Amino acid sequence: MSTQDRERLELLQGTLDLLILRTLIFGPQHGQGIARAIQQTSQEELLVEHGALYPALGRLEERGWISAKWGTSTNNRKARFYSLTAAGRKQLGRETTKWKRLTAAIGRILEAGEG
Amino acid sequence: MFRAKRKAGDFHAEIEAHLRLETERLRGEGLSDEDARAAARRTFGNLLRAEERFYEARRWLWWDHLWQDVRFGLRMLTKSAGFTSVAVLALALGIGANTAMFSVIEAVLLRPLSYSNADQLVSVVSVWQRGGVTTPYSCSPPDFFDWRDQNRSFSSMFAFHTSERALTGRGDAKRVRAVVTTADIFPTLQAHVIVGREFRAEENRKGANQVVILGYSFWQAEFGGMPDAVGQTVELDSEPYKIIGVMPRDFRFPLRDSDAYLPIGFDDKVMTQRGAHYLRVLGRLKPGVSAAQANQDLTAIMAELRRRYPDKDGKWGVHAERWSRLLVSDIRPALLVLLGAVGLVALVACANVSNLLLARGTVRQREIAMRRALGAGRLRIVEQILTESLMLAISAGTASLLLAHWALQAIVYFGPKDIPRLANVGLNTTVLVFTLGVSVASALLFALIPALRSSKTEVGSLLKMSGSSTREAGRARNVLLVGEVALSMMLLAGAGLLIRSFVGLRSLSPGFAPEGLLTLDVSVPEAHYRTSLALEGYWDQALRKLGGLPGVASVDAMTPLPLSGDDFSSSFSVEGRSVPEKDQPSAELRWATPNYFRTLGIPLRKGRPFTDADRLGAARVLLISETAARMFFPAGDAIGQKVNFGARGGYEKNEGEIVGVVGDVRHFGLDAPIAPTFYVPLEQAGMDGATLVIREQASPALGRAARKLVQEIDRDALVGQPVMFETLLAESLGERRFYMMLLGAFAALALVLAAVGLYGVISYSVAQRTRDIGIRMAMGAARWQVLSMVMKNGLGLVLLGLATGLGMALTLNRTIEGLLVGVSPTDAPTLLVAAGVLLLVAMLACYVPAWRASRMDPLVALRFE
Repeated sequence: MSTQDRERLELLQGTLDLLILRTLIFGPQHGQGIARAIQQTSQEELLVEHGALYPALGRLEERGWISAKWGTSTNNRKARFYSLTAAGRKQLGRETTKWKRLTAAIGRILEAGEG
Repeated sequence: MFRAKRKAGDFHAEIEAHLRLETERLRGEGLSDEDARAAARRTFGNLLRAEERFYEARRWLWWDHLWQDVRFGLRMLTKSAGFTSVAVLALALGIGANTAMFSVIEAVLLRPLSYSNADQLVSVVSVWQRGGVTTPYSCSPPDFFDWRDQNRSFSSMFAFHTSERALTGRGDAKRVRAVVTTADIFPTLQAHVIVGREFRAEENRKGANQVVILGYSFWQAEFGGMPDAVGQTVELDSEPYKIIGVMPRDFRFPLRDSDAYLPIGFDDKVMTQRGAHYLRVLGRLKPGVSAAQANQDLTAIMAELRRRYPDKDGKWGVHAERWSRLLVSDIRPALLVLLGAVGLVALVACANVSNLLLARGTVRQREIAMRRALGAGRLRIVEQILTESLMLAISAGTASLLLAHWALQAIVYFGPKDIPRLANVGLNTTVLVFTLGVSVASALLFALIPALRSSKTEVGSLLKMSGSSTREAGRARNVLLVGEVALSMMLLAGAGLLIRSFVGLRSLSPGFAPEGLLTLDVSVPEAHYRTSLALEGYWDQALRKLGGLPGVASVDAMTPLPLSGDDFSSSFSVEGRSVPEKDQPSAELRWATPNYFRTLGIPLRKGRPFTDADRLGAARVLLISETAARMFFPAGDAIGQKVNFGARGGYEKNEGEIVGVVGDVRHFGLDAPIAPTFYVPLEQAGMDGATLVIREQASPALGRAARKLVQEIDRDALVGQPVMFETLLAESLGERRFYMMLLGAFAALALVLAAVGLYGVISYSVAQRTRDIGIRMAMGAARWQVLSMVMKNGLGLVLLGLATGLGMALTLNRTIEGLLVGVSPTDAPTLLVAAGVLLLVAMLACYVPAWRASRMDPLVALRFE
């Protein structure tokens, strides 16, 4: 029940795309796997509403950053697997840099206020 | 990017797979089957919403919506057939008027001339400059040759004039429309013969010019389209011409079908005739050269010519303009004003339909609120309304094509003959694209307010129908109505001014009485009449023979005939006044038989008229018009002066003593200024062509009989069709009548639309206030009080619109100033009458619903829901 009891952070607008791309860098994964991976990697801090995940996947697919095909999961279930395209890899690089600059800048401001 | 669309089913399967995987994982954590499934669903969030979002993210969503909207729209439009038919009719009238007007603009102003690379063709005219006024004129041969040989802008240039010849030696003479031209015509126009050869440069010379190139239809009609016509000889004006070629079927020059192209045949004297302005000049620009550059080039050449020939060219300039522009330079402003006016009609139609939609929007409020409650977004509602509006507009646009088709038939039939290419109007692709554009634009326009208003409909209004939103809609309707009335007022004012101007012109006297006069053009072949005496004999015989016809009261001959479009002007000298040649005054010259003035009712003001004694060999005499007498002999001493025009038009010199002053004649039409005119006795001039003017006494077949009689005198003489003088008078105002009729039609259309709109709005407000009116009547209000209450309501709006429209008319009517003669664009009586007409129609439109309201049974009204 641990997954439900703790109060988790909601994702900031626009960050879900970045997290999906990042997750897929380790290889193809299906939607449920991506959601699990984000939650686990964030040490259960981030809440991914599964319902919001799929439109995001569709969006990324539409832009050509990820591609998808049906395959079989480790426990032999049919699932739609997403993998990163070359364009997606580039986009991930750009977004990561942007995000790092953004957090660093915000961090500086917050710390300056505290000091 | 183009990829296969993902099916909604595929997405659904993916979510199912997700839920299965999550359930299994949760079960692995120790949850029961049921709990695991529930938890998986919970974490997923709103399942349906996810699928919906996926669905909406697809690109083809709009297409789905469109289909939905179209189907729904069709249902709605067919369900309320009354609304639909009124809206479509109003729009079709508005759009149809625009389509018709644009077709005219397209054919007359926009369509390129039918010559290859027609935008390189430039018309060159001489410009007469005197006292700050410049008048375009024909060109003289020496000027033409100098321009042609010295310019650096044109790849080639030719000079021509049109002329009528008689096809002789084949029974009764037939009229041949000829273009008399220099040899460069076909290379310049980039048009070439289909059989035979074109002109050679040496055929520009007199003596070598007895060749002819035939027009296609003339070749078909006279030679059955046989190629061996080339090489044969054809007789024009009783002189032989060798056929050397035939032009293609679609070749038209100048802009119309000509029968024959003849080389101009200049003689040696021509280079001395620098003052003889009778040629039209066209040139083809070198690639990359603009008309403005050509203009500069020619202006520089002309400056040199003015220096070198101060006597002949001293007052002349030159002007080059694209032929396509020059052809319509005097028509363009009028047509553009009319296009603007017809645009206003479309606006009135749009306001009308907008109003209908608003009224219906109130009725449909429940439906829209219901759709909002079921989750339709605002944009979705706007989309739906726009789709319905587009469907209305496209249906109207389609229906408008039929209306436009009829309108164009009427325009071609009633339109004046002097608007070039008007007969070529048609609903071609350009016009159809325009119609589609106007339809879509008007849909956006008339749907705008209703769409915005409807989208504001709140879910809550399902319950409360009579909220502030109804009042707001009412305000929007009133604003639209005021706009409609104002636009109609403007159009009515414009039409009123044109009508007043036209009526004013009609009431002007042309200076003679055209009633009951028949005209018959006659020209005789020079080859048969080599002397003035022979010509005098011919005219005597024609007049005598026609005079003997039953039903003929009198016969005269004169040329050029007033209102015929022909004229003749020349400079002259007065004995005892020494004036350098370039400063010589110029006046109109006419030739007439003695009785002409009495036959036409032109009054003698002073001196004596021509008499039968003023014949060839007798002392030469002249008559002078009042204006000419005032202009050239301001001391009132015209009679007795000796004037000399030189040999012009006929064999003899036009000189002599002024013996009398006659009344002015408006030769160029009622709307043109009166020109100073001299008259020469026809018999003293040796003229080979004139118009017979016959005063008849009600004998319908007389025209044909007279024509036959004249043909019998000389089979080779070219005798035109008999035309009543009154027809010529009417035709001289044809263009003005055309503009007046069009603007009048537009104004009438706007008035009807505005009246229908007014009627609709008042009826609607009466229907809404039924209970209110019922209560008033139950409380004892008299019928007239109800009537006046409703009327006041409507007339308030009308008066507001009227005032607005008058204000706009006062500022905007200046645009039609150029179309008016003798009326100021702010002419108070006209504006008042227009306002009166509008008010009357508006009162009627208000009165009907008001009257109905006053007849209501209060008991029924009170129960009205």
